[in-house]
Amino acid sequence: MNALIISAVFGVIMMFTGIFVKQKPVTRNIAIAGVALLLLVNILEMSGIDFFKVHTAGFMLFDRFALLFNSVAFGSTLIYFILSAPDMEKVGHYYADYFALIFFILCGVVLVASFQSLLILFLGIEIISIPLYILTGSNKRNLISNEASLKYFLMGAFSTGIMLMGITLLYGATGTFDTQFMNIETEGTSALVIAGMLLLFFSMAFKVSAVPFHFWTPDVYDGCPTVFTSFMATVVKSAAFVGFIRLFYDAFGSIHDDWKLVAAIITALTLLVGNITAVFQQSVKRMLAYSSISQAGFMLLGLLALNATSKEGIILYATAYSLATIGIFAILLKMNDHSFESFNGFARQQPLLAGVNVIFLLSLAGIPLTAGFLAKFYMLKATLESGDFLWLVILAVIMAAVSVYYYFRLIQAMYFKEGDGNAIEVSPGFKLMLVIVAACLIVLGVFPNLLLNWLYF
Amino acid sequence: MTIIQILFWLLSALVLLSAIMVVINRHPVYSVIWLIITFFGISGHYILLNAQFLAVVNIIVYAGAIMVLFLFVIMLMNLNKDMEPQKSKWLKLVGAIACGCLLLVLIAALKDIDINNQIAETNTGNIGLIENLGTVLFTKYVIPFEISSILFLSAMIGAVVIGKKD
Amino acid sequence: MPINYYIILSLTLFVIGIVGVLTRRNTIIVFMCIEIMLNAVNLLLVAFSKMHHINQVATNPTAGTEAQLFVFFIMVVAAAEVSVGLAIIVMLFRNTHSIDVNFLNRLKH
Repeated sequence: MNALIISAVFGVIMMFTGIFVKQKPVTRNIAIAGVALLLLVNILEMSGIDFFKVHTAGFMLFDRFALLFNSVAFGSTLIYFILSAPDMEKVGHYYADYFALIFFILCGVVLVASFQSLLILFLGIEIISIPLYILTGSNKRNLISNEASLKYFLMGAFSTGIMLMGITLLYGATGTFDTQFMNIETEGTSALVIAGMLLLFFSMAFKVSAVPFHFWTPDVYDGCPTVFTSFMATVVKSAAFVGFIRLFYDAFGSIHDDWKLVAAIITALTLLVGNITAVFQQSVKRMLAYSSISQAGFMLLGLLALNATSKEGIILYATAYSLATIGIFAILLKMNDHSFESFNGFARQQPLLAGVNVIFLLSLAGIPLTAGFLAKFYMLKATLESGDFLWLVILAVIMAAVSVYYYFRLIQAMYFKEGDGNAIEVSPGFKLMLVIVAACLIVLGVFPNLLLNWLYF
Repeated sequence: MTIIQILFWLLSALVLLSAIMVVINRHPVYSVIWLIITFFGISGHYILLNAQFLAVVNIIVYAGAIMVLFLFVIMLMNLNKDMEPQKSKWLKLVGAIACGCLLLVLIAALKDIDINNQIAETNTGNIGLIENLGTVLFTKYVIPFEISSILFLSAMIGAVVIGKKD
Repeated sequence: MPINYYIILSLTLFVIGIVGVLTRRNTIIVFMCIEIMLNAVNLLLVAFSKMHHINQVATNPTAGTEAQLFVFFIMVVAAAEVSVGLAIIVMLFRNTHSIDVNFLNRLKH
């Protein structure tokens, strides 16, 4: 509850900052302080210090899983602000308002991570989506950004409609919106429940861009201003996954057998299409968009398995994936264009940046000693524990090998290709932050329990 | 047939017909008008179900505010002439057939469910009255209510950020 | 009225909305079709609310209220969504003088 209230308050503070503070660095520092405060109060709440005693009437449950994910999301946002907030200045005139919108998105993230009622899930997803439509279209002069925004909006509204129909059918069968009291019987499940569950599944698959509901993702990620794509592809996407898993864990855990096969097919398609299409991309930004689809495939394994390991796995995956992707995007933002060629000869110009970029890419590809490897390992382990999806595990391993190809293409461009590249200037603080992020990835890759122990103690 | 049944069938026919008119009309302004008629039909259904508060809110918010906003945008951008390039006939046909199949599947699945012979009570029951709804909204549902204020704030900022001329 | 009449009515309305979303190219009409979908949901929610009310009224005199409040929240969200959506449409129209969905293919490479 701490984080929810304070992020809403900071959203309002940022709105007023836009009026009273004209210097952009000051605005930025207020926002960074805000997220740092959010992270702090959230960690305090994990240690049992709750500032606001609000009776949530069963709408929300701030359990360890939700709180830990909130911490991960706030930590990623903090790093994202420190690395990329200066680049938001280039997008448009409403610098403080972008921060306000991001704080409101964080409210939505808290809601989606801790809902117990479908009403809160619906409100949370809408609070995440509406500011995102705006951030996507925030580059108002750019036609591609406008179109991405409209496309995202239409797809988002459409999938919300489908989700609401699912919620309604579920309500008709169970008479409650509370995921704890649905009591769906394992035997002889009503057709209303099945239809509602499938509609909910499809709409959530829309939100996390699982194949075949992914067609909007590459276009929207590509058209969105790069600095916001970074946020969208990381924090928001993992939040949608946490909501997805929470929903199916709480409400439909008892009829796991009924939807396992659908989930397995969608996971397999997501892994296949995401990875294979990513191979053929010519722009790094678009490659990252498809890579986010393929990473979603791995996170879907956690949904499919639905056990304790998969909860640990999803937290680790969200951390590893968010940190690495935010880092790569931060470097990409400094480049003049987003093609692979612009990275030619990058290692000679910026040896340090190229080095940390390699660590990020290795983590995304899942090479041992990085957090990405362990995250993938946890997902596969969870799937194996749940039984009878050996073929999916094999497919996932093959696809992870495919993904190495396109991540290494970037490494190859940086180290083994000659090119004048483009001279970029970065501050020492930026470099230091990237090194810290890379160090986090490696530390988590060796000692994942530093993070996962928070789930239990 | 009782009066309620007659009203139910009349309103249902009105709602479906006007919804179809929204979809097939080539002229955006006419579509808006048909949509308003749909909303009135749905409000009629709410009154039949004795949900007066929602019936009134539906007319005020949907037919009143939202559709006026639509009309404003259409007039403002001078879209009130038929300028929509058509999708190919085949594509439309395929879309309609696919959705028809979806409808058939859904109805077939829900045709014989266990709650089928239950009744949605019409004309009685006072949970839809403003007293009951207000009490529950401001006691048990106060948290979602406050949360929706965050939603409005972000939508407000958004409309300003997007809509204002640079 | 029997609940299955309401289920069929709402699902038909919902599917009419989906047909509109899939077959029309005018963004504003697509948007209106999404509103039709939301209204279908609202109608079904109210019908279910009254159904659960009559079933449970003996134990809980306010059973079914939550669904009507859900409808209220759907209307709230729809209003917010419309304001943002129309702002986006106006912005796009300023730049392109068209609201044809198929122009959205500029993003494809």
